[in-house]
Amino acid sequence: MIKANLQLSKSGFKLEANFSVPGRGVTAVFGPSGCGKTTLLRAIAGLEPEATGSLSVNTELWLGANARTPVEERRVGVVFQNPSLFPHLTVEENLLYGRKRLSKVTKPIEKNELIASLEIEKLLLRYPTGLSGGEKQRVALGRALLAEPKLLLMDEPLSALDLNGREKLMLLLEKFLQKIDIPVFYVTHSSEEVARLADNLVLLANGVVTDHGSIQDVLGAVDGDLSRSDTAFSVIQGQIATKQLQGLISVDCGLGIVLQLPDATSMLGVRYQPGSRVRLRIRARDVSLCLEEPQRSSILNILPAVIAQLAEKPYNGSRVVKLDMAGKQLLSKISEYSVQQLGLKQGQPVFAQIKSAALI
Amino acid sequence: MISQPDIAALLITLKLAGTTTLILILLGTPLAWWLATTRSRARSAIEAVIALPLVLPPTVLGFYLLLSFSPDGPIGATTSALGLPSMAFSFWGLVIGSAIYSLPFVVQPLQNSFAGLGRMQLEAAATLGARPLDRFISVVLPLSKMGYLTAAVLGFAHTLGEFGVVLMIGGNIPGETQVLSIAIYDHVEALEYSQAHWLAAGLLLCSFLVLLMIYSANRRFHLMKTT
Repeated sequence: MIKANLQLSKSGFKLEANFSVPGRGVTAVFGPSGCGKTTLLRAIAGLEPEATGSLSVNTELWLGANARTPVEERRVGVVFQNPSLFPHLTVEENLLYGRKRLSKVTKPIEKNELIASLEIEKLLLRYPTGLSGGEKQRVALGRALLAEPKLLLMDEPLSALDLNGREKLMLLLEKFLQKIDIPVFYVTHSSEEVARLADNLVLLANGVVTDHGSIQDVLGAVDGDLSRSDTAFSVIQGQIATKQLQGLISVDCGLGIVLQLPDATSMLGVRYQPGSRVRLRIRARDVSLCLEEPQRSSILNILPAVIAQLAEKPYNGSRVVKLDMAGKQLLSKISEYSVQQLGLKQGQPVFAQIKSAALI
Repeated sequence: MISQPDIAALLITLKLAGTTTLILILLGTPLAWWLATTRSRARSAIEAVIALPLVLPPTVLGFYLLLSFSPDGPIGATTSALGLPSMAFSFWGLVIGSAIYSLPFVVQPLQNSFAGLGRMQLEAAATLGARPLDRFISVVLPLSKMGYLTAAVLGFAHTLGEFGVVLMIGGNIPGETQVLSIAIYDHVEALEYSQAHWLAAGLLLCSFLVLLMIYSANRRFHLMKTT
């Protein structure tokens, strides 16, 4: 477990972060710009000396009433928003900077294997100045991991990259972050990145943690901040099906749920091979409800579901409805007028019309 | 041409400039680091004190140093209590005077260099397990090479050209405290213009070459940084 109860006041800004998440997997710290995500990450790393409260990471206490582990002893890997490689050292020397300072290599991360999977073998002898943004971030990630951290922190690692570089690094992170055996905190304001990477979610608004837990629990909290916001969305995992319809990509989500999407190729054109595992992000506002199965609709995905939960109160004229689709959770945001008109109730069978789903 | 006393003056000058520069680099490093990183209110006051030699006539500095070297002055009292010889009219007295006189020329380039580093790289080093001194040696020093070169060259060159402070506290003892600038003055006083020329032109050329070296190194460094 990672348990945090952190307070910090800094030039008029107050951070109040109280949460606990499992000590493994990727935890996304999600919230709008300026809500204190970076500050929270820095406090976890030990880079905010004024932070008070408590913080424990698995078996270790990093911050307590009378104890404060200095940053250099926390063994925390950090990938900052802007890559902070050492310009006077080659890529290889950068990679080994932290590893050289380990008192002993306990769990030998195979160096060459890591370098190969980050695709930075060809850069080893170069200096950071000439590298592209994506290359720098990959080196920074390798440098952090070779120091065998107990927790990896990533602060919007994609934000300084162009679109193409972003997509490439994202693909690598998707493969990579699931593989490593270290808990990861990933700060982002992009719901797409959350949907693609996160197992757990910590929601932050105005310096306060408003919700935390597994991604399905936090996304599915119908009265939560996230559900009320415009970004409310669901994540469904699936697999690209082998049988495809003309011009469509079919994603088999198990238990008879197959979603169809227009066959657009990804930017790098590599991901939509049959059999590959994918995640779908479906915005709550793109899901509408019908009491009877619509016929002859342009909407590709119309699936039977049961209303699992309705938000207690409407918010801004809309209400969030949580659907149970053969065990999969799906959010729909519809007008309060429609809720009343259709007389929607918990347990009621409906048809969910999914206007669009993003293959991510 | 160049006489024996002139060579002695040259050697004393080089020894004085070298010793002063070394001491200033050692003392200036922690001082400049503190100035570059502190948020203390005392910073402005300390910066102003360090910059004083830039504006004060050297004779003012020399006058107060002479007073403090006297047996009743704070430095003089200390040295005599420790059984040491008086600082006035001695080489080490000159070193103290020069160190104070050249302090801003060493501290300011170092401070600018440290302040320009930003905290990102240091924070990254800390997360990678480097302790404070280790961070300073492995990150700050190599990234401040230009700052150190500038500080050392300016400190050295400025001490070479010192006149007023030396005259006030060092006297003009050939082979002990007579430095080049004072030797030149003596030659001119004695109407020995050709000797004065040798020394003066030599000093001029030296100073130019030294400054040329930093400016071209600086240019290369900036070009390297921008590519």
